[in-house]
Amino acid sequence: MSFEWPWQYNFPPFFTLQPNVDTRQKQLAAWCSLTLSYCRHRKLYTLDVMEAQESPVFNNKKIERKLSVEAIQVVFEELRKKGNLEWMDKNKTRCLIMWRRPEEWGKLIYQWVSRNGMVNSVFTLYELSNGDDTESEEFHGLEEWMLLRSLQALQTEGKAEIISMDDGKGVKFF
Amino acid sequence: MGNIFGRKRRTRVTEQDRAILQLKQQRDKLKQYQKKITLQLEKERLLAKQLLKDGKKEKALLLLKKKRYQDQLLDKTENQIGNLERMVQDIEFAQIEMKVIKGLKVGNDCLKKVHEVMSIEEVERILDETQEAVEYQRQIDDMLAGSLTQEDEDAVLAELEAITQGEDMELPEVPSEPLPEVPKEPEKEPEREREKSKPRQEMLAA
Repeated sequence: MSFEWPWQYNFPPFFTLQPNVDTRQKQLAAWCSLTLSYCRHRKLYTLDVMEAQESPVFNNKKIERKLSVEAIQVVFEELRKKGNLEWMDKNKTRCLIMWRRPEEWGKLIYQWVSRNGMVNSVFTLYELSNGDDTESEEFHGLEEWMLLRSLQALQTEGKAEIISMDDGKGVKFF
Repeated sequence: MGNIFGRKRRTRVTEQDRAILQLKQQRDKLKQYQKKITLQLEKERLLAKQLLKDGKKEKALLLLKKKRYQDQLLDKTENQIGNLERMVQDIEFAQIEMKVIKGLKVGNDCLKKVHEVMSIEEVERILDETQEAVEYQRQIDDMLAGSLTQEDEDAVLAELEAITQGEDMELPEVPSEPLPEVPKEPEKEPEREREKSKPRQEMLAA
């Protein structure tokens, strides 16, 4: 499965932040959607700004253009405003990226649980994200922080309860 | 509003759930261990191959011995995972059984309550009363039926017979030629009427 790049990706000015407010708005929107769909395609859950600059999204080798760190931070800030991104440190070098909201993940997990008749069962987090049973599910390989957040979302809906034990966490679905 | 702090969330997680979780965590650890060993085995197999190629047979043999030992470990781990999973299933099933018994208990209690309302004496009394009512009704029927004499009964039966026979009586064929013109005679009408009313009067008399 190869990633389909939007047309802007091969358009050099796309890699420079535009001064005109309107154009810039559109450009940022395009960058946001490109970033999210790329992370979704590669199943990325955390990004490092420095590393990101070298990744193909922000660095188009074919047209020899790359987005500057400052511009990347502007894009990321935009994503944060939309609720798709969270900074992990004060210096804004690493971030969590949520191309699917925790509630959506929660819904997917809950659907899988109820489809398999495992409501009222207890699971370990490892089992959900790395177990053999979830191999073909989209949430397989979900990073723990993300998994925990989606389960928390389910918990507030009353569909799950997170159990904390000495070593590691578990969850029971209802 | 004040219930944010005051609300004590009643948990729906039981002791058994915690036990299951613990078992499952143990199993996860074993699975991770299994993964590690499997990867190691694969690596060592390749290494042994390489050693053989290089002519270091002694070393390769040693490596294979080590591999064999790890294979056994893998088997043991597999068994232990199986044990843990069986245990989890046992607990889960026991929980289900508990629920079944709870359900049966509720049903039993309900049945008992219904039976309390429907005591045996009550049922006997009701049945007796019904029997009495049937008897009473029969007496009334007898009294009413008694107003008909045997003769009347015979007449009724005869009539019934006539009706049942008349039903499958074959009708003559319809004539094909047109009916001859008959002048209408008004005096004949009353005669017909009289004929018609005759059987009815007989019936009334019966």
